[in-house]
Amino acid sequence: MEYFLQQVVNGLQVGSLYALVALGITLIYGILQMLNFAHGDVYMVGAFIAAGVAGLFVRGQVAFAPAVVVVPLMLVAAMVGAGLLGGAIERLAYRPLRARGGLALVITSIGVALLIRYTVAIQVTAAPVPVQSDALVPPTLLHLGPVETPVMALVVFVVAAVLMVGLDIFVFRTNFGAAIRATAQDREAAGFMGIDVDRMILTTFVIGSALAGIGGVLFGLRYGTVDYFMGNLIGLKAFAAAVLGGIGNVRGAMVGGLTLGVLESLAGGFVSTAFQDTFAFFLLILVLIVRPWGMFGERPLERA
Amino acid sequence: MVLRALWQSRDRLNDFLGRPRALVPIFLVAVPLPFLLQYLVDSYGWTGGEYWLRIATISALWAGLTLALNIMVGYTGLFNVGFIAFYGIGSYAYALVASDQVHQHLPLWGAVAVVMLVCAAFALLLGLPALRLRGDYLAIVTLAFAIIAQQLVLDLDRPPTLFGHQFGPDSFNLTNGAQGINLVDRLRLPENFPLLHGPALQTRTYYWIALVLVALFGYLSHRWRSTRVGRAWVAIREDELAARAMGINVYRYKVLAFLAGSVMAGLVGMVSTAWLADADPYTFDFTQALLPYMMLFLGGVGSIPGAIIGAVIVTVLPFLLQPLVYYKWVIFSAILILLIIFRPQGLMGTVQMRPRRALGGTVELLTEELEPARDADIAGVEAATGAIVADRSVT
Repeated sequence: MEYFLQQVVNGLQVGSLYALVALGITLIYGILQMLNFAHGDVYMVGAFIAAGVAGLFVRGQVAFAPAVVVVPLMLVAAMVGAGLLGGAIERLAYRPLRARGGLALVITSIGVALLIRYTVAIQVTAAPVPVQSDALVPPTLLHLGPVETPVMALVVFVVAAVLMVGLDIFVFRTNFGAAIRATAQDREAAGFMGIDVDRMILTTFVIGSALAGIGGVLFGLRYGTVDYFMGNLIGLKAFAAAVLGGIGNVRGAMVGGLTLGVLESLAGGFVSTAFQDTFAFFLLILVLIVRPWGMFGERPLERA
Repeated sequence: MVLRALWQSRDRLNDFLGRPRALVPIFLVAVPLPFLLQYLVDSYGWTGGEYWLRIATISALWAGLTLALNIMVGYTGLFNVGFIAFYGIGSYAYALVASDQVHQHLPLWGAVAVVMLVCAAFALLLGLPALRLRGDYLAIVTLAFAIIAQQLVLDLDRPPTLFGHQFGPDSFNLTNGAQGINLVDRLRLPENFPLLHGPALQTRTYYWIALVLVALFGYLSHRWRSTRVGRAWVAIREDELAARAMGINVYRYKVLAFLAGSVMAGLVGMVSTAWLADADPYTFDFTQALLPYMMLFLGGVGSIPGAIIGAVIVTVLPFLLQPLVYYKWVIFSAILILLIIFRPQGLMGTVQMRPRRALGGTVELLTEELEPARDADIAGVEAATGAIVADRSVT
């Protein structure tokens, strides 16, 4: 039983990372009907920015400034950096193609993903970059009842949870969020209502990318290393999470991410660890065949 | 002045290049290429002959793959992101029947039959459930399939375990994991073949085999296009609802396209594995999956010479840019993005893309095909209104 709970707790922590990235994917899909394959690499850039910032404040396992200062700084820097990157991508690569439809956007997003990935590999480094999270936050293990978890994992979960709640409030309880939802629902009609569609799309991209960037920071802090290829797998798993929750559905992405994390962790713990990565994709195929609109989506009216 | 003449005749040039008969000069150049390279090596002591022959062989194999993709994406509009997995399946299917991994060494036609059957089986396994889904979801499912396929290949070097129970003996090793299956048999062509016979040991033999595959696929694609099946495919691509309304069994034709493309890809995988005498799980990594798409889009979706030329360019270009190791990806991606923005039809420019609003498909491909339809009336209507008239031969 303790083993089960331990897997669940691990899964929640990993799942919160998936949820953050899946949120960006689902927001972008909702508003543009495109699958943004470049999202994982925005996450990676956020992680690199954070690694850079951490490197400024840490020299050889000793931190110059307290973690309470450095960690929020890393988060903000990654958020801003990733958000700017996302906005730039939308403005430069996706906006010219909006009229051409989903396939062009998807292929372009793959191109953008490769571009970002290999530019980072060349300009920064192709080797894994360590993040001195141990120097910032001591790697103590907390014991909550039968379960043990490193402090950092708890921090990751809490930060992700706070962000998700914040996003939920923003999307569902503010006028701006209503405008975004309107644009996602019917772009033309939203335009008629006086909503600046271009700005809404840009904002959605920025927000989604910022969330992904924070996800990257949290990953770096939790696992201590980032490399230029890390966006690949998480991008795909976040897709699975977004589809699981219902692609286009914000709450679905949150729940989907957490669910995927937990299920994956359980599969790894009880079936076999080698199976863990593939599990996400088995689940994805299963969901798409049995219930393609996910947990929170609605059955589409047209059954083409 | 030559440039000016070229520029002024570009419409006629484009028209010519869009037709499959443009392939004739391509093949006229391609077939004697090994002899040309050999001559350069013998007469001038040039050491690059074998290197460029290898590149040419790789290009020919990718051209075959792109032609297979053309049937799925170019004709039918199925966005099969995980297409490259079938190359890998064909590759491993051949490796398993022609190496010491499971101690099978089938002769040529037996191996071909096995590869085709295995690929068809996996195509059905993936396609039957997946092709009922709309465009976006099909893309995701095929992608997931490709990832799972690669992971399975990597993991089947030890007996599979489920909940702690082990299925199979400890010596179970089907795919040899990350190392791949080495020492795969070369192709052994029958002795009574006209020109190429006996065991194929030289790169040039595989080059010609690859050319035969390309010619075969190109011919098949071309002939298929003007049959009922081909026109059904194009009708599905253009407007699925209209096609269904005209009585075309959309699902069945989609499955057929899937099967065709997958089997072709598998055959390419077989030849490639036999040539390299190695089956490697990283040849069908997801990052490779978009290469045939790049080739197809560069050359022109739906166009046979376009597919071939696109494949050649995308394959040869990195070798020319070899000194810039990582930069080649940066350049590639930049080219791809610019291409999609400024010339989405690709070089041969046959098929445009337009967003599909209804039915959730990712794209609606407008036809600007230079292939005249058999029925002049249909061609006239198509040309005049840009609309598709679904296959009339069905009624």
